[in-house]
Amino acid sequence: MLLAGVAAAAQSVAHSPVIELQNGAFRVNGWAAPRSEPRGGWGALFLVYAGAGKVPPLVGAYAVESGALVFHPRYPITAGVHYHAVFRMPSGATIANDFDGPARATNPLARVEQVYPTAAVLPSNLLRLYIVFSSPMSQGEAASHIHVEDDKGKVLPDELLPGQELWDPLFRRLTMTFDPGRIKRGLTSNQTIGPAITEGRHYRLVIDRDWPDARGVPMVQGFARSFVGGPADRTPPDTAQWRVTAPASGTTKALVVDFPGPMNYSLLLRMIQVTRGQAKVAGRISLERHEAEWLFTPDTPWQTGDYQLAIDTGIEDLAGNHIGTAFDIDIFEKVSKTIERKSLAIPFTIR
Amino acid sequence: MIKGPAFRRAALAAVAVSAVAILAIADNPSNLTDSLKAGKLQLKSAGALAFGPDGVLFVGDSLGGSVAAIDTNDHTAPKGAASINVDGLDAKIAAMVGVPADQIVVNDMKVNPLSKNVYLSVSRGKGPDAQPLIVKVDTSGAVSNLSLDNVKFAQVSLVDAPAANPAARQDPRTTTITDMNYVSGNLLVAGMSNEEWNSALRSIPVPFKNAEPGATLQIWHDSHGRYETQSPVRTFVPYTIAGQAYVLAAYTCTPLVRIPVSDLKAGAKVKGQTIADLGAGNQPLDMVPYKKGGKDYILVANTAFGLLKVQADHLETYPTIDSPTKNPGTAGMPFEKITSVANVKQLAQLDLSNAVVLTATSGPGPAYAPGPPVGPMNLKTIVLP
Repeated sequence: MLLAGVAAAAQSVAHSPVIELQNGAFRVNGWAAPRSEPRGGWGALFLVYAGAGKVPPLVGAYAVESGALVFHPRYPITAGVHYHAVFRMPSGATIANDFDGPARATNPLARVEQVYPTAAVLPSNLLRLYIVFSSPMSQGEAASHIHVEDDKGKVLPDELLPGQELWDPLFRRLTMTFDPGRIKRGLTSNQTIGPAITEGRHYRLVIDRDWPDARGVPMVQGFARSFVGGPADRTPPDTAQWRVTAPASGTTKALVVDFPGPMNYSLLLRMIQVTRGQAKVAGRISLERHEAEWLFTPDTPWQTGDYQLAIDTGIEDLAGNHIGTAFDIDIFEKVSKTIERKSLAIPFTIR
Repeated sequence: MIKGPAFRRAALAAVAVSAVAILAIADNPSNLTDSLKAGKLQLKSAGALAFGPDGVLFVGDSLGGSVAAIDTNDHTAPKGAASINVDGLDAKIAAMVGVPADQIVVNDMKVNPLSKNVYLSVSRGKGPDAQPLIVKVDTSGAVSNLSLDNVKFAQVSLVDAPAANPAARQDPRTTTITDMNYVSGNLLVAGMSNEEWNSALRSIPVPFKNAEPGATLQIWHDSHGRYETQSPVRTFVPYTIAGQAYVLAAYTCTPLVRIPVSDLKAGAKVKGQTIADLGAGNQPLDMVPYKKGGKDYILVANTAFGLLKVQADHLETYPTIDSPTKNPGTAGMPFEKITSVANVKQLAQLDLSNAVVLTATSGPGPAYAPGPPVGPMNLKTIVLP
């Protein structure tokens, strides 16, 4: 026993241990780790730091693999991080080694693919904008990188609602809301500052190139689009004014629904369905005429007979009015017992 | 000498506190952690936080469309008054999880009312692949990562079942959970949709039952004058007004609205009343109700206005604001700006007379939404003003 111990000690002197980074794990090579964890845990012997100053050690798990002590970080080796690994030998001497994660990416990839609504004239009570990017973006940057300018290029403050960025799960579509305080009638900001968009005025929406994508790299290029303020829209959408053009039987031509004006882009993709009897008809939705036209191309040819458009009454126009209810309603009196998620049906016939 | 009335008041306050405690216990006869099961909790994101009884931490997962209840197993009261001060907290968290400090986003902060340890929900990264973290800062200032690999938890989904067609594009809908509070046996969850404007407040019975997502409530409030709106709640606190339980909610367009808890029933449409307006071009972040010198206050943290100390006595006497004020920010409950603490990004109650704040120099954006903070995030204990 004693001899073996001496032999092991001699060996560790002969080959001083070295800390290596192998396959994303920090490994103490050249030191025969005991099978069982020492008093105080492996952390009493071996710690990895990923920051300067008085910081907690990197979180992760220890293992003894092929006789070597290995630290597996909880999170993978990351670009832009400097790692400092320290091993304290039972003799009290310490050895250390430093490693760098890969360099941070610098190649721009992201651009703005589209901003909805796409129309050149937008109602003065426009509620929401949807900005679609080609790549996942960084959160928390919207307010610094989206600007609304007047016709002289002056940035208008307080146009968009502060805080709370609303992303899709892929961080490719951001929903921005104009300050509803400036849209709703009777609110202080509407009375004192005026609406966010004034009818007849020219504006420019500007998105800065230096908005970092999810990797922290600025976009390929910025984005700008001009628009003109139109009249406020306080009329809830009315399906009686929608024009449905049914294609011929046996074709896969698009069913076309025309609205009197542009509708909310994201809800058009979700809140209108084509049904036949109880079954949903499979197909593809596209939008034309600046979101004032909804097209549905079926996967299989239309058959002669009766179909329906099933419309969720929550569908909104550009000002947040939805079927049956304006965005800011005049006195709320009718209290219904349940929250209704109504749907309306527009029948059409394929001949 | 000083002992006389002051001592009696203190004793009365103690009685009042224990009465509240008894009520809270009566709501949950068994320990809430008994309802939780051990396992690996998988979150897609960690956002709004709220503490319930027995050291149970509720975590809102906006990207996962769910809420989790976690047993923090952290029930020991601190020895003496807690005071937590940690400079450069973002750098410490970043080092702990191996990421540059600019990739740390703190989403919410709450104090465990039992242990007074501070809990933060954090994103490791800023894109869709960001990993959610629950970080604990104990009363000695030690920073640790609450491992979710083997915890007692329960989870409830807030969303409809995913699309049956697996080939369908990923559903772009999300409901961002803006705030949560545990109110007498229910978790109230305020959310904001990235598609529809209208959003509901959800009331989920605790302990969570199966996949029961709770009742949704539509809250309408008088905006000023005759127009009424249904808007997403940004932040809210439970509040007692004239012996009745209310929720005080701050909306995205900055009015403070009182809503009777008794109205918050399944399937209800609820009408709230605007009793204050903190002004335009500002975002309320957190609210902490407290008592000082026998008077009630609410400390409100804001993006543009900083800390506001709002007088909150006799809220039953405030009429519904029914006409726009000429001078924005002076309507309803009076308030004063607290200038001794600046750049507050998170605010949470520590005890009856102290709060913790997370401060950081604001980013380059406009005052109401300055963007990611520049420079270190510092955790400080402040005396409630």
